[in-house]
Parts: sequence; C-alpha cells; structure tokens
Amino acid sequence: MRSLFSLCLFLLAAVVSAVSTSGNRLLVILDDVADKANYSKFLADLEGRGFQLSFETPKSESLTLFHLGERTYDHVIFFPIKTKGLGPNLTPNILVDFLNAKGNILLAISSGIATPNSLVSLLAELDIQLPADRTGLVVDHFNYDASSAPEKHDVLLLPPPGRLRPDIKDFFGAGAGSNEVLAFSRGVGAVLGTGELLTPILRAPRTAYSYNPKEQAEVVDDLFAAGEQLALVTAFQARNSARLTLLGSAEMLQDTWFDAEVTKPSATGGRKAKTFNREFAKRVSGWTFNEIGVLRVNWIEHRLDEPGNSASNETNPKIYRIKNNVKYTISLSEYAWTNWEPFTLPSDDDALQLEFSMLSPFHRLELTPETARSTPESTAYTVHFRLPDQHGIFNFKVNYKRPFLSNVEEKNTVSVRHMAHDEWPRSFAISGAWPWIAGIGVTVAGWLAFCAVWMYSAPPLTDKGETKKTQ
Amino acid sequence: MRWLPSFLSVSLLAAGSLAARKSSEERFKTYHAKSLSSTPVKLGDSTYRELTSTPRDYTVAVLLTAMDPRFGCQMCRDFGPEWDLLSRSWVNGDKAGESRIVFGTLDFADGRDIFMSLGLQTAPVLFLYPPTVGPHAAASPDPIRYDFTSGAQQAEQVHSWVARHLPDRPHPPVKRPINWVKWISTFVILSGGLTASYVAWPYILPIIQSRTVWAAVTLISILLFTSGHMFNHIRNVPYVAGDGKGGIRYFANGFQNQYGLETQIVAAMYGILALSGISLAIKVPRISDPKAQGVAVFVWAAILFVMYSFLISIFRGKNAGYPFALPPFM
Amino acid sequence: MSADPLHALASAGKAKSTRSVLRVVILALIAGAAIASRLFSVIRFESIIHEFDPWFNFRATKYLVAHGFYKFWDWFDDRTWHPLGRVTGGTLYPGLMVTSGVIYHALRALTIPVDIRNICVLLAPGFSGLTAIAAYLLTNEMTTSNSAGLLAAAFMGIAPGYISRSVAGSYDNEAIAIFLLVFTFYLWIKALKQGSMLWGALCALFYGYMVASWGGYAFITCLLPLHAFVLICMGRYSTRLYVSYTTWYALGTLASMQIPFVGFLPVKTSEHMPALGIFGFLQLLAFLDYVRSAIPSRQFQTFLWVFAGGSFGLGLAALAIATSAGFIAPWSGRFYSLWDTGYAKIHIPIIASVSEHQPTAWPAFFFDLNMLIWLFPVGVYLCFQELADQHVFIVVYALFGSYFAGVMVRLMLTLTPVVCVAAAIAVSTLLDIYLTAKSPKPVEGQPADGGDGAAKKAVKSGLKSTSKPLIGVYGLYSKVAIVGALTVYLLLFVLHCTWVTSNAYSSPSVVLASRLPDGSQHIIDDYREAYQWLRQNTREDAKIMSWWDYGYQIGGMADRPTLVDNNTWNNTHIATVGKAMSSREEVSYPIMRQHEVDYVLVVFGGLLGYSGDDINKFLWMVRIAEGIWPDEVSERAFFTPRGEYRVDGDATETMKNSLMYKMSYYNYNKLFPPGQAMDRMRGVRLPEVGPSLSTIEEAFTSENWIIRIYKVKDLDNLGRDHASAAAFDRGHKKKKATKKRGPRLLRVD
Repeated sequence: MRSLFSLCLFLLAAVVSAVSTSGNRLLVILDDVADKANYSKFLADLEGRGFQLSFETPKSESLTLFHLGERTYDHVIFFPIKTKGLGPNLTPNILVDFLNAKGNILLAISSGIATPNSLVSLLAELDIQLPADRTGLVVDHFNYDASSAPEKHDVLLLPPPGRLRPDIKDFFGAGAGSNEVLAFSRGVGAVLGTGELLTPILRAPRTAYSYNPKEQAEVVDDLFAAGEQLALVTAFQARNSARLTLLGSAEMLQDTWFDAEVTKPSATGGRKAKTFNREFAKRVSGWTFNEIGVLRVNWIEHRLDEPGNSASNETNPKIYRIKNNVKYTISLSEYAWTNWEPFTLPSDDDALQLEFSMLSPFHRLELTPETARSTPESTAYTVHFRLPDQHGIFNFKVNYKRPFLSNVEEKNTVSVRHMAHDEWPRSFAISGAWPWIAGIGVTVAGWLAFCAVWMYSAPPLTDKGETKKTQ
Repeated sequence: MRWLPSFLSVSLLAAGSLAARKSSEERFKTYHAKSLSSTPVKLGDSTYRELTSTPRDYTVAVLLTAMDPRFGCQMCRDFGPEWDLLSRSWVNGDKAGESRIVFGTLDFADGRDIFMSLGLQTAPVLFLYPPTVGPHAAASPDPIRYDFTSGAQQAEQVHSWVARHLPDRPHPPVKRPINWVKWISTFVILSGGLTASYVAWPYILPIIQSRTVWAAVTLISILLFTSGHMFNHIRNVPYVAGDGKGGIRYFANGFQNQYGLETQIVAAMYGILALSGISLAIKVPRISDPKAQGVAVFVWAAILFVMYSFLISIFRGKNAGYPFALPPFM
Repeated sequence: MSADPLHALASAGKAKSTRSVLRVVILALIAGAAIASRLFSVIRFESIIHEFDPWFNFRATKYLVAHGFYKFWDWFDDRTWHPLGRVTGGTLYPGLMVTSGVIYHALRALTIPVDIRNICVLLAPGFSGLTAIAAYLLTNEMTTSNSAGLLAAAFMGIAPGYISRSVAGSYDNEAIAIFLLVFTFYLWIKALKQGSMLWGALCALFYGYMVASWGGYAFITCLLPLHAFVLICMGRYSTRLYVSYTTWYALGTLASMQIPFVGFLPVKTSEHMPALGIFGFLQLLAFLDYVRSAIPSRQFQTFLWVFAGGSFGLGLAALAIATSAGFIAPWSGRFYSLWDTGYAKIHIPIIASVSEHQPTAWPAFFFDLNMLIWLFPVGVYLCFQELADQHVFIVVYALFGSYFAGVMVRLMLTLTPVVCVAAAIAVSTLLDIYLTAKSPKPVEGQPADGGDGAAKKAVKSGLKSTSKPLIGVYGLYSKVAIVGALTVYLLLFVLHCTWVTSNAYSSPSVVLASRLPDGSQHIIDDYREAYQWLRQNTREDAKIMSWWDYGYQIGGMADRPTLVDNNTWNNTHIATVGKAMSSREEVSYPIMRQHEVDYVLVVFGGLLGYSGDDINKFLWMVRIAEGIWPDEVSERAFFTPRGEYRVDGDATETMKNSLMYKMSYYNYNKLFPPGQAMDRMRGVRLPEVGPSLSTIEEAFTSENWIIRIYKVKDLDNLGRDHASAAAFDRGHKKKKATKKRGPRLLRVD
C-alpha cells in the first residue's frame, strides 16, 4: 500500500516537473538563427508545451551535445542547413552517441536544400536512404495544391495518416476532420530498409513519385522510388526507446502552412480545404520528444500462489520449487501529453505476453488486466500458472515492442529448485507402497521369531557346522 | 609424359560427349541395374566419367583404391571388404533404388588417368558426388571427400557418414553376414580342448594346483604392468627408435614417453632386483653350507646393488635434474 | 628414520610393555613425519586450496558450515551450469565435506576458533597420518614379524604415490578415501580371519563411509567379492568366509544406498553385480555345505558340486542376458574404459581429455614408489610362501592394483597401499633374517600363522623354494653387508620421497612459481589477479563462459556463475561451450546470447610459454563439440592440408576465424615491433595483422597475459549487425546506397 502511495507522489512530481517524460531541454539547430521566424508558430507551440528552447547554428563553437559525458540537451531539432558539413560537434558518431544516450532527434529536411553529410550518413546507419543531394522531389499529379503549385504539382495534399496496422494505436491522424488535409510541400521522400525499428508515419499516395528536377526535367526515367515505398515522414525508435523522426518537408512546419487554405485539384472536385499541419506537427514533435506513446513499468511482482504454503506472502522470492503455483503481476502506464494513464492494449488482437523461459520458453502466457490492483494511472496485468517440472535458472520475461510505443523488455531471474528430500509424500501415504511396508514388517517379525526359536532350542550334541554358526 | 595432357583432354572430351548422349535418368537405371547384379560397380576411365558427369539427379559414392599388391597400399586392402560389405548391404536393402545412390570402385590399375586428372597422390580416397539436379540437388557439383586420416574405417562409420549426406532418403543399415567358419572353428577347438583337458586331467591338475606356477604368473604380470606395458599397449609406441647417426636409441628421452624395448629392459631389471631380493630372503638362509652361503650372500647383494644403481642412472637419464645416484653408475 | 625403530627394538629389552610403548611412540613419530612432509606448500606459499576440484569441495564445505546439513543435502546450486543449475546435494560424495564440517563444529565446541579454510587445507595431511596407522594394522594382519607393520606405516606415510594427492591444500575426496580404503581392507581381513559378525559390520560401516567419500569405492566393491571367489576356487570355502562376506555385503549395500548420488546403483549397474553374484553363490555353497554334512554319499556330493558349478554358470548367463536386455546398466563409461582401453578415446572424448586418465609410463612408477617398486614383487612372493586367506587377498589386490595403475595415472593411488604392505613384508623378512644376533644353529621354520588352511598347505603344496628348512645366516659379514645395504636403500628412499614431495607435488597450480635468471623465485599470480578482478568489477550474477577446467576456480575464487565446470556430468552443455569457442563469431554470438553469457575467459600461454593454456586444449573442445554437431564442427578443418596443427600464418581459415583463436591472439601483435610477434609456447611467428573482434570486446588481461577476459556486447542499439557497427565506430561511413543492390527489397507493413 505504501509503495502505491509513494508511487502516486512520484507520478505527481513527474507531472509538475517536466511535460515530456524525458526532460525539456530542447536544442534547435538552424542554418541562421533568423530563420526561426518562419517556424514561429511551431516553436511557440513547443514552448507552450513547456520546452526550454535554445538556438544554435552548426558553426558556433559553444555548440556541444555532451558535457563531461552527460547529455547537455534532451532533444534536438534539425532544420534544413545549407552547409555541407556540420563541423566537429555534430559528427555522425556524436549523433549516434546522442541516440544511444536516449536523446531524441527531430530531423526536418527539404528538397531545395542539400542535406548535410553527417545527417545523411547517420540516416544511412539507420537504414534510411535519401536521394542524392537536391535530386529528390516528390510530386503527385493527382493530389496537389492547385492554388500554390498548379504547375509543378510539388505541394502534395494528403489525407491524415490512419492506422498503419490494425493492431497499432493511431497517434497522428486521429480526430482529423474530413475536410482537413496535410500539405506536404517541396519535400523529400526516403526509402526505408526492412528493419523493425523503422516505421513510416506518413507514406506517399500510390500516384506520387520522386524524381530529379534538374536532369529529369524533360523525361522521367529511372525513378528513385514511387508510391507507398516512398516514406514522407519516418519514425525510428532505437532499442533503448530513443526516437528519431525524419520529416521529409521542413516547409510543413512553417507558419505558411499552419491552418492555411488549400484547394484540391480540379480532377478531384477542386474544393477548398484546411491544412492539418499544425496538429500534425504537434503530434509528430510530441511523439519524438516522448510526450505520447511512452510506456512505463511501475512495478513487477511475482509470488507463490499456494494458500496453504507459509511462504506465499513473500513477494519476489529468489527461488521457487518445481511445480509451484505462481502469480505474476506487472503494472503499466502510458503517458499522454500531460499525465500518466492506465495502459490498455491498442486492439483486441494484440496481446501482452509473459514468457517463462530457460534457454527457450517453457510457457508463453497472455496477461490479463486485474482491476483490483489497477489505479487511475496504471493497469495491472496478471497471470497465474504452474511452474514446469524442470529445475534451473528461469526468467520471467515480458517483451512488448510495438511501433510508436516505447519498448517494454522486463526480465526477472528466479531459480527453480528440485524437490527437497522431505517434500515427497511419505511412503505410508502411497497405497502402492503398502505391500512392501507389510513385507518389512513380516521380515522383522519372522527374524525375531526365528531368533527366539533358535535360542530356546537345545543345541544338538556334536555338529560342528551348527556350533560354528552360533559362535 | 608430354602426351598426357593432350590425351587427357581428348579422353575428357570423349567422355563428355559420351555422357551427353545418355540422359541422367537412364544412366542411373543402367548403373543401378549393374549394381543389382554386382556391387560396388567396377569402374574404368570412361565409365567413371560417364557416371559422374553432370547433370545427374542421383548420388555417386565411389572409392578410388589401389588393390594391386605392387602399390602396397595396406589401408586399401583393409578397407576394401568393408566397402564391399557396405555397398552390398545398402543395395540389397534398397533394390528399388529409392535412395538414388550408386556405389562404385575405381582401381588405380583401371583408372590411372582419373587419378592423375584428380591429382590424387594417395589411396584410398572416397568421393561422394552429390546430385546436381532433382529434388536432392546440392549447391556445388564438386564431390565430398571422406577423411581417412584416422586409419581404415569400419563399414558402420562410413555408412553413417554417407547417411549424413543423404538426408530424407532411405538408409539401409549395414548387415554383417554371420561368420560360420569362425563359429564352427571355435566350437571345434573348444570341444577339442575340453576333451583333451578331460583326458589329461591328472597331469594338468598338479600344474593348476602348483603354487609355484601361480606365483610365477602373478609376478610376471605384476612386472609387466609396473614397467609400463599398458602404456605401450594403449599408445602403441614404437619398439625402438634410431638416433640420427644410424645407431639405435633404447631409451626415449622425456618423462612421459617410452619405447617398447625400454619397458622390457626395465621389467628385466625389476625382475633381477626382485629375484635377488627373494633369494636373499628365502634361498640363502636355507643353504646349509656356511661357505657357499657367504658367497651367495655377497653375490646376490652385489647384483642387487649394481642393478639398483644402474636403474637409478637410467632414471636420471629420463628425468633430468634427479639428484640421487649410487656407485658405480654415478 | 624408518631404520632406527629396529635398532631401538633390538636394544630394547624383550619386555612386552616396553615394546608396546615403543610401538606407540614410533607410530606417533611416523604419523608426525607423514603430516610434516606434506606441509611444503603451506610453508612456501601460504595456506591455500590447490588445483581445481578442491575449490569446489571447499565451496561446498563453506556452504555446509554456513547452512547446516539438511540445506546442504537439498542444495540446488544455481551458480554453476548456468542456466541448468546443479542438484549439488544429490550429485556429490558428501563424505569429505561432512568430515571437515564435523571437525569444524567439534573444534568450535571445544572453543577453538579456527577458520574452515585451514581445516580444509590441513585435512589431507591429518588423514595421511591415520592412513599410516591403518597400514600398520593391515600389515600386522599379514605377518607376525614385529617390524613389518611399522615399516609399512613408514612407507605409507612418505610414499610419493600417496603424497601426490594428499599434500596440504589438495582438499580432494582422495584425501580421506585412501585412509578409508586401507582401513576397510584391514577390517575385512580381520572379519575374515575371525569370521565374526562384529568386524564384518564394522567393515560395512567404513565401506559406507568410503562410498560417501569417493567414487573409487567400486574398487572395494569388486575386490572383496573377487577375493571371496578366489578363495572359493581354492576350495577354501568356510563359515568364516560366509559370515564375514554376507555381513559385509548386506550392511554395506544398505549403507551405500543411503547416499543420494549412489541410490539404487548397487542393484542396477554392472560394477556392483560381482558382489551380488558372489553373495548369491555363497548362499548356495552354504546350503550345499549343510546338505553335504547331512547326507554322506559320495556320488551325491559330486552331483552337488556339479550343481554348484552349473548354477554359477547359469547365474553368469542370466547376468549377461539381463545386461543385454537392459535390466542392468552396462559398465559405466569411466569404469568400462579401464577394461577396453581404447574405448574412451573413441566414445567419450571428455574422459580421455582429462590428463589424470592417461596411461602410466614406467618412470612415473619409479618416481612415485622408488625402491618399493622392486620390493613389491618380493613381498608378493613371500605372501605365496604361506598362503593364508589374507595373503591371497594381498596377491589379488597386487595383481589388479598394478593393472589399474598401469592403465590410469590417478589409480597409482589405489596401488600404493598394497605396494607399501608388500614391500614392508619383504624388508622386514630380510631384517628379521639378517638382523638377528642369534648364532646360526638350525631353527624351526616360520611360526605357523592363524587360519586353519596354512598348516596343511605348507605340507601339501608349498613353494618349491621353501621345501628345505630355514637355517639362518652364518657369517657376521654377510649380515653386516645386507643390513648396511638395506639401510642405504632406506635412507635413499627417504631422501627421494622428500625431494619428490618438495619439487613435484607441492605447487598449488593456482600460483605458478618460476625462477628468475639470478635464481630467486618469482611468483606468477595471474589466476588470482584475474579472479579478483572478476569479483570486484563484474555484477554479482555475471555469467562467465570458460572451458570447464576453470569452472570450479571461477566459482570458488571469483564467486561468479559459470556455464560448465569440472563436474562434467552434462556432455552436451560442455559441447555447447566447445562449439561456441571453436566457431566463427557470427555462430558463437547467438549461442552466448542464448546462455546469457556476460564475460568469456580464456587462458593464453603464448607470452610466457605456459603450456597448460587453451590453445593446447583447443582440439579437445573441437572433438567434444564434433561429437554432438558433426556437421557444424569438424576437427579436420583445424589441421592444415599437411595435417599439422598450426597457429601461425599458415593456420587454416577455420582456425583463424574461431573465437578461441581470436580471443587468444587479439591485440597480441601490439606487444611486439611489427611482424615480430612470437608465440613463445608454440614457438612460432604470428602473422603481421592480428585478428579483429566485433561481437565481444576486451575487458581484462592479466599481468603475464595468462588470463584474458572479454565482455560480450549487447545487441546494437540501432539494429545494425555488430560487424558494420564496429566498422562505423572505426570511422568507415556507409556509402550512400542509391544504386547499391539491384532489385530493391520492398517494405511491406
């Protein structure tokens, strides 16, 4: 009980201190600090969400991501930068270290401006391929903004993204009005590798493609990529839940496209529509900076589940016995913008599973919510089961990894010992043993009787065999 | 031998064309039929090339050997019968040819060109040609070579090796024929021995009951064991070894190894030492003549002393840095 | 020192009391000498546990002392054989630990606070003193000579063959087992001679103690029935034999079955079948004996004997059938390899790989037994002189003991006692003959010994050489000569034993001692350095993977969980480690992940020329792994086409890519000027560029590079494979993969 209380206190503290679950020191890297006027609304929104923004240019000497091995910032935003190199403070290795130290990066690039080498090689390490410099421009001759790009068709109008998979929570497109569209202007499309750490947030429509506006102005052959293989907005979540988002079009974040008026092409009715960019930018940045989709394990508890057994009320014992009945409970919370909420599975065909494994899983069981232990901030998932008939060093393992949700990988090691010598049923309790027990009794009695007869019978006169026996 | 390469290429061409003429399927049919009559199939240059020519949808296990006594290949002659036994029991176990394997033997006498073209210096060599087409096709058409490094193998070991390379196919087990001759001969000898012993019982009995015989047997075996005979038996060490200069070295240097003769010398020394000890303990005190006894004592004591010092000196040779010694062998 | 008691005896008056007092004093001195001669290592180094197995026994003892007996009995050790764990309480011989635990508590009860480690270190010497006394008792059963027993005690006390396993700090089962062996034999002889149930029961009791202490109890289990069988064949069946044997067998078997590790083996396995068979056969004989005494009919008796023989044959046949049918387990591998000497090398490489299971070369015999080795046959021959039951025992024991000792080095241990006894008989006979001041007038033959058989045997079938009566020695010079020579031999023997003990058997292989050029001693302490590092710099439950030799030491000194250790009960698990060591990194890494390995420890002797390192043991790892995965690991691939085992530039690719090779030589060439890297152990020059590691990283290397510890990397945070991640850290950037792969593999989600 006290643990729960302190837990609540801790949650409270968390809420008031930082709005993001992982710090609020946000570094914005621009080509020129003056450029931030273009993004005033977006930055204002961030400040409004409690981030402390600090602006730097790659050239400045004071810029450093680490100080004495500690992160100096929690999050970084890269806006497009004209210079090819980013200087010694932002080499790809430093950026990789930043990710390994649980720092988050939001990377906004634009087709007009070449992407710095270090960022490109960083993305290459993440298995994200960009088209060569200034050669990638995503166009779509069916969904473009008729008002701003009637000729070049390079401002795409896209419906807000839906669920990527039926079993994944919809973070980015949910609640968008039917008449709201995303304006994706002069953007770069990336091609993703097949790694499971990568997830496309926004994919290009089937009719879009990416071409090189310089060489291929006349005739387009040899596309970089086309259709849904073209990821416009990409989410990467490392194993340590550090997040990196690649935003194909920096202009999306500019004030001009926040709440702007756009017109769909005449082929599809030519109706006016409002842009969804502002909300979308909020959600993407929020996800990147650990404001949504963050899971937390509050506590884990496993205990003996045998009413008669005296050891039952010991929590998290180090050692069990084979064929014990055990209860395992894990409490999970999910962070949504401002507060922790009880975590619920995104859909019914998803499952939170417990593995009880030594070398390979002996059990793989589905955890079910337990209302008794749940609180307004957390859900307790629990399962009862019987330990296998095999001694060894086992792990209670919960391994829950889903796109857009931070990774849950919990491992609790326990030993499962063999039966102690006094834990077997007594022989007389086993009906099968009765004949043998009876046999013992008979033998003993017979021996005593024989001895009695022997001693009280007079020794024969002269028989050396017998006398020798009796000596 | 200048003509050899050209001849080789020609023959290869010929073989290739020959192989090209018959399809893999009928090739297998013909050779399987042959093997049913007599296995392993005896191969020559051309037949070898035909059988192993690609594409093939069957496996070929072929033993390249040199049975001719001229080559003095002991291992070939050891392994030959095992190989025949393996192929025979396999083919008998799988008459329908479901395992799609053909066992063949190529003797150096019939196929020296093959040996040269394969660049083989040694025999026997066992190749397993995997199929190149069909359900069991392997990645590379190159043959898999069996490793004969650990001496001539039993048929069972080779069988398991072949079976390992023929997954999901029937593996007829090796059936060793019952060796009637052995059984009958042993039976005859046994019965003969029994009758003989029965007849000669009165003469054998005293020998069996003689304590001296038993003592001799016991002592001899003890001397054998304690002089490292089992080591020779297990490690089968050489009997003697020559030193560089044409002479013979009786004693292996090094604490952990020894020669056959060496152990026998040591056993003899132990024996002499023990014998002198026994005589001093038992024989000498039973000599009734004082003078003879005195002589015997000193003779035996001298033998004992000298032998022991010699033994220690030998041991010093084996174990450098052993500090003790007795005269005269300091 | 083994000569002076005789002078003392000669000088001392013939009063029995003085003699007995002298005996006690001498025995005490001998025991003291036996203990003292085993303390070299303590004096030279410190009070430390030796080699490998003792470290486990020490750990187990500490557990026993800390948690009490029942906890120890049910001990599940989750720090070895990770992740299987070991049911330690049920898979060890508890005798040793319980003994020292009892001593510990007894001393505490006497308010003598003493560290359990010191008890463990000094247990073996203490018991060696007892062994000397047991040898004295056993020998006294053999002969009536006064000096034989004392000589045997002295021999037993200082014979290197026994010292080799019982110096201070070698806290192993043999430490107490040899005492129990000799004492059990003494009790057996006693019981046989008197045909008394009491002695038989005592024999069974100590047999049970022996079973609780050492796996070598099978030696007793087979030797006693053999002795009984030989006696029967010699027509010496007697009720004494019947009583003593049946008492011993019944009680002893029950006692042995109380040990969890033994359990029902005595009725299941072939090692124990001879004892059972002889037990049944004796019942039959007893019955026949009774019948014969009841029905005095000639033909009927012959029929009975034929019946006995036939039933014996039938019993053998039944045993064979039951074994083949699987009711009785066939000879267990270790035991079977004693008979079929080629067996282990083919079928159980793990047994053949142990150094103390190698056959014995003759220098080892002389080294361990010196002059006893040739006095041994003399003593056996003297036993033939008057062949009473107990002498038959010595003969049988001598025969089989020498055979086993020839097959396995470690079984020299079981041979030593009988050698000491026989040699003592020989020497004492010589001394009795040549050390008498008696004038040489014809004296009566040797006094008749107890045991009804002896007298008529001497008449019927004695040795040819003893047909004439014993007269004695006339000349004084001859007496002096022989006695002098014997004294020289005995002194030499003492010198030899001391020298061997101090030079060969007193170094705890944990600490290596080497001589510097100026002759001063230099201690190489890498093992303890490395284990200390592990203890202080790794998590409490960090799993260490190493070859099984070091498992016990890591568990004992570093107190970290290990994958495999010297208790080699699970061949597959060991083969898994062997496979991980002998495969490429890409193959090994998943194995190590699956077994949650945190650190890998290898022993490398290349810098120091230390021969016992892992590269020299590597082939055994390969062989053991090949036994389980013949398709994935092949010993042939580690030999060059010319069949050499090389580690230099000409090593095979498999060798160079194997994890063991990489771990051994990683960064080694940085010690030397370019191209000069030398492996001083193998004496070869290493290639210019050393191996590179991507899935593990060097964590620790000891002062002389003997121990190298590597940390297993976690999965890459960004989902790359380790090779490319390492390349990235080294600064190689991926080139932009625009046109890299032809058909781009599309992403479906």
